[in-house]
Amino acid sequence: MSVVQTEARPAAMRAEALRQRVEREEISRQHREQRRTAIGRVLFAIALLSAWELASGRLLDEFFTSRPSAIAAAFWGMLTREQLLYHLQFTVTEALAGYILGAAAGLACGFLLARLEFVYRIVEPFVVAFYGIPRIALAPLFILWFGIGIASKIAVAAVMVFFIVFINTIAGIRATPPQFLQIARVMGASEWDLMRKVVFPAATPFIIAALQITVPQAMIGAIVGEFISANRGVGHLINRAAGFLDTPGLFAGIVALLMIVLLMNHAITALGNHLMRWNPRHGTTRELS
Amino acid sequence: MADPIIEIRDVYKVFVPRGGRERRAFVALRGVALTIDAGRFVSFVGPSGCGKSTLLNMIAGLVHPTDGQVRYRGTPVDGINTDVGYITQDDNLLPWRTLQENVELALEFRGVPAPERRQRAAQYIARVGLAGFEHHYPHELSGGMRKRAALIRTLIYEPSVVLMDEPFGPLDAQTRVIMQDELLRLWEGSGKTIVFVTHDLVEAIALSDEIVLFSRAPGTIKRVYRVPLPRPREVFHIHADPRFPAFYDQLWNDLREEIAEVGLEATPS
Repeated sequence: MSVVQTEARPAAMRAEALRQRVEREEISRQHREQRRTAIGRVLFAIALLSAWELASGRLLDEFFTSRPSAIAAAFWGMLTREQLLYHLQFTVTEALAGYILGAAAGLACGFLLARLEFVYRIVEPFVVAFYGIPRIALAPLFILWFGIGIASKIAVAAVMVFFIVFINTIAGIRATPPQFLQIARVMGASEWDLMRKVVFPAATPFIIAALQITVPQAMIGAIVGEFISANRGVGHLINRAAGFLDTPGLFAGIVALLMIVLLMNHAITALGNHLMRWNPRHGTTRELS
Repeated sequence: MADPIIEIRDVYKVFVPRGGRERRAFVALRGVALTIDAGRFVSFVGPSGCGKSTLLNMIAGLVHPTDGQVRYRGTPVDGINTDVGYITQDDNLLPWRTLQENVELALEFRGVPAPERRQRAAQYIARVGLAGFEHHYPHELSGGMRKRAALIRTLIYEPSVVLMDEPFGPLDAQTRVIMQDELLRLWEGSGKTIVFVTHDLVEAIALSDEIVLFSRAPGTIKRVYRVPLPRPREVFHIHADPRFPAFYDQLWNDLREEIAEVGLEATPS
């Protein structure tokens, strides 16, 4: 066997040139793919809206399904004449306050219970039972307790969020690899160190997932609260539109909610991506809704 | 002259398996007695499940004997022994911390101020050739790099005793030998005591002053050997030493009895 010695310099230069070419090609391929996906999405939306627009009044009864152009007009009308922003501010406040309250309480209870192994074993079946209650059924009760103002909607939104965050936090804490804890203990970690530097980061994937799933849940809580009894808020606008058999107005309210939830989702996904930048499997989180 | 740092006095350990249906307690260690002198490199070898790792956990204070006593520097180990360092088979680097943050972890726990942490971490990182990778996350490092990181994040707080549980097990053959060599370079002259669990007899011979051979479960010490090779050692050429083959054969024969008695038709490779 003989080793063929090629001239080192030309081979190295050629390899570098090839490397750069392949790298460029890969980058432009990725860009092309992203562009095509974006264009595809826009076309899909246009196709969907056009199909709706065309079918409405022909295949579908416009009274029930309305049509995108009418909904856009109704949305504009709501924005200018019916003070959509005024109503939106209540709904967003309720959903946001309920979300923050529910998430904070869920996290706090989760960490507390996960540390108290014995207490957790006692209350676990009860937690599961409470979790099984369709939480939306609590809305009338909360209105009874907290009145028809904003407080009762915050409570409904909070309870929608609380259990999911609570249960996921416990699951995340329990999923901490025991070896991490042992190693950290031998390294001299205090209980507080363990919580802050090992257990909490280990639980973040679970907590982030819960925080993403519960964004629309908080909105559901606020809207259902408004449906039952309110004289302001987007839920109230939708309810009123339904009362007047105003389908475009009804859809316009739903569009407003959709936009808010997308916005909140976007914020929480950005936060999640930042907190989870260490996780190779995380990368690009799909927005949940 | 002999300065015992770890004394294992007639230790028994009984475990009850957790999780499964099986509730029958079993004896993992049966009357183990051993003294380890400060500054020595001691390896534990023996069949799987003979209690070697349990004994390491006892020295670290993570597990306590059912009967008997483990003493560290003359006092019984009854809590976590933070004077030791523990390196496991999995590197157990925290995936949410960069290499540097992982290396600094123990110093954070020990309240070392940030500038000093950074400086000491930089020293150790440079020593094992990881400079330039400080801000990489563990998943961005190769197996060998992760193992080096696991090594220095333990050595950085200068534990008197380093417990190593099959640390190089998951590495490929070449990386393993390179890591063995690096470990010897880091250890020689440091005065630290190393207790090293391995299945690899060549590794045990290449690294250790003494080898403790365990019987199959319930684990007892079958024999303690003094490795007849001089230091400093060349792990890459350990086979070339004229004393190596005879010692290896003796060790393997004694170990084979323990494996064969379980009914496995084991043959040396």
